[in-house]
Formats: sequence, structure tokens, C-alpha cells
Amino acid sequence: MNSNNVGRERHRRFDRVVSVFHTDMYRYAAWLCRNPSIAEEVVQEALLRAWKSLDALRDDNAAKPWLLTIVRRENARYFERKRLETVDIDNLSPAQSAMLAQADDSELNELREAIYRLDDDYREPLVLQVLMGHSTREIAELMGIQQGAVLTRLHRARIKLKGEVEKEDAK
Amino acid sequence: MTTSKKNMNCEDYKEALAADPSASSEGGAEHVATCEFCAAFQVEMQSLDVKIAKALAIDVPDLKLPELSEIEDDNVVNLPFRGKRAYSTPAWIGIAATVVLAAFIGVRMIDLDPGSGLPLSDEVLAHFDHTPRALEVTNVAVSEERLSRVVNSSIGTMDRNVGLVTYAQSCVINGKTIPHLVIQGEKGPITLLLMPEEMIDGAMTLDGEGVIGVIIPMGNGSIAIIGERDEPLAEIEQRIINSVEWSI
Repeated sequence: MNSNNVGRERHRRFDRVVSVFHTDMYRYAAWLCRNPSIAEEVVQEALLRAWKSLDALRDDNAAKPWLLTIVRRENARYFERKRLETVDIDNLSPAQSAMLAQADDSELNELREAIYRLDDDYREPLVLQVLMGHSTREIAELMGIQQGAVLTRLHRARIKLKGEVEKEDAK
Repeated sequence: MTTSKKNMNCEDYKEALAADPSASSEGGAEHVATCEFCAAFQVEMQSLDVKIAKALAIDVPDLKLPELSEIEDDNVVNLPFRGKRAYSTPAWIGIAATVVLAAFIGVRMIDLDPGSGLPLSDEVLAHFDHTPRALEVTNVAVSEERLSRVVNSSIGTMDRNVGLVTYAQSCVINGKTIPHLVIQGEKGPITLLLMPEEMIDGAMTLDGEGVIGVIIPMGNGSIAIIGERDEPLAEIEQRIINSVEWSI
């Protein structure tokens, strides 16, 4: 195969992988950094890195955790570079407010705010499990923690959210 | 997730369910069939999960692909040449290997300026060359005290079932102090560099004559594993991933 064909095949492979998972990449980034504008930047950087290291992806069936791992690292790099302050729920940018109030359903928006307020340690495994469909073992690998710790965090996250929902229902 | 835990009580069941409402477990199914409170809790948690999934599925803007440059394959890094070694009689060959490597290093001294900006793979390879004593074949484990000092709480934890650790030293890679360990594999010593702060985007293969290696991403860090060419590193990779947890 000549180099042009190799290049075209590489592009095709990349497009195939990214077209399937770019929605997941964005949502994961948005819930990691809790800012839609930053999430777009993080995803752009992640796509560039994914392109550069595409050959490290040995099996396309493993593309999703691979891409999410890149997003996770890119997010960490972004915050290392910018040294941003912690997000304050009472002082959101218009983009952040819009992200939390997308639904017409106020109950859903309140739950979204409750998820937004969760500690990073709790929110991330929840996103990976509920939205990305990862098993607790896969989450443990991606986050570099033990599976037992993942189970504990998921349990605590849901109990917190359940409490928040009940609080809202009682109002 | 599936568990084989039988005879669950309410507390166990609720804990397992809140960690994964879609999970099925033999003991859990039996328990919920006989406990109306837990059956109600199950319905509640599954309903909550449906709402969580809806809440998390935020709108996605039109994302533009960045401009993609043509890339050379730079994910395979060649290790320096090493003659193939045999380890059928560990004690004397261990000594011989040390002598051979010491001679080799005599002509291949590399400037290991901490944080010199070298690519991670180069740092790893340079360090690998620089520590011949680590490659002794032995069945003498380092003391627990030493291992705890090297893999200390600021780095993370490591399950002692990872293998027979025969060398443990705090070393510097990219300006950061990291644990350098050696475990004894089937074919000879296996070098492990635990690098909690060295993020990489994907596994990086280190390929040379006589030895092979890989740098695998793990959380916000990575782990370098280098062993003999015929060592089953894939199995070891998984064991190490399961054994190590970062603190950072």
C-alpha cells in the first residue's frame, strides 16, 4: 500500500471512530469540567491527541474507553495549565447556566444541578457508568482506582442524589 | 456487574444496588423476592437511574474536527540492543548479567538531567540502562520496610501479590521521584517504573532485541514494564494494573 493510501485509510479509520463517539466525548468532558465552552476546547485537544496516537489503538472495539481516557487526561492538562478556580454553583457563566437548564422539565433540571454539585470523585464514576455504560472494572481502570472504591463512590453518589430529589419533592 | 454473594441482608443489598442498579446478583434476587422494603428500594433506584441518565444526556453542539496533520508512527520506540539472556541457572547468570550490563553502560552513559524535557520513552530507556543492579536474577525479596518506603502513601498503594519484588528504589524520571521496582517473571527480571504523574495518551511499545516493554496509561499516570522478549507481558500488565492505585 502506498503512503497516500495509508494516509487515507488512517483518516477513514479516525473518522469512523470519532463519528461514533464524539457525543460521548463531549458529554464526558462537559461533566468533568462542568463548563460547555471548556468542554469543547478539551474535546478539540483530545481529538488532536487521538489522531496523533491513533496507531496506539490496537483494537477499534476498544475505541470508546481509549477516547474517554484521552479526554480525561486532556481535561486534567487543561486545568493544570489554567489553574482555574473551583466552579461556584451560584456564580455560573451563561453557558454553564444553559447547560443546567436545557430541559423544560424543572425536576430534571434540578437533578442536573444536583449532579453538577456532586464532588468530582462521585460525579465522574456516575457519568461513566450511567451515561457511558462502563462496568465498575472499566471505571476503576480508567480512573486508576480500585474497583471497591468505584463501588463506594457510586453508592454515595446515588444516595446523595436520592436525598436531593427527596428534598425537592418535600418542598 | 454480577456477584455471587448469597444470603444478602438489607444493608448489603441496598449498598450493592446503589452502586449499580442494573446489576444482577444471585443473592440479591433471592433477597429482594422476600423483602418488600428492598423491592421498593430497587424500583426507586432504577427509576432514579433513568432520571440521572436523562439529566446527564445534555445537548451536544456541532463539534468541528481539528485540522489533522499527517503523522509519522512515533509510538514504537526502539530499545538499545541487548543480547538474549537465558535464566536457567539464576544465581550465576544473574551475576554474569550484571557484569555484562555494567560493561555495556560503561560505553553508554547518558545525561540524566532531571526534568530534561526528554520524551518519556527516552527517559525510561535511559533509566533502564542506568540501573544494572536491578536486573539481578534472585529469589530474595526486598524487605517490606523498604518496599513501603519506596511505594509510599504519597505515591499510592501496591498489592503485594503483584509478584516477588527483588529490587525497590526511589528514582527520578522527568524530574519526579518515582518507584523503580523489579519483580521476577517467568523468563527473568521485569522492570516496573510507577509514574503517577506521567500522563500518556495510549500504550507505547518499547521493542528491542532480547527485551520488550510497554508504557501503559493508568489514571493520570503511567507504568513502564520491561522484560525479556518471551516474557508474557500482557498477563503481567493486567496484574500490575489491578495491583496499583495512585494517591495523586
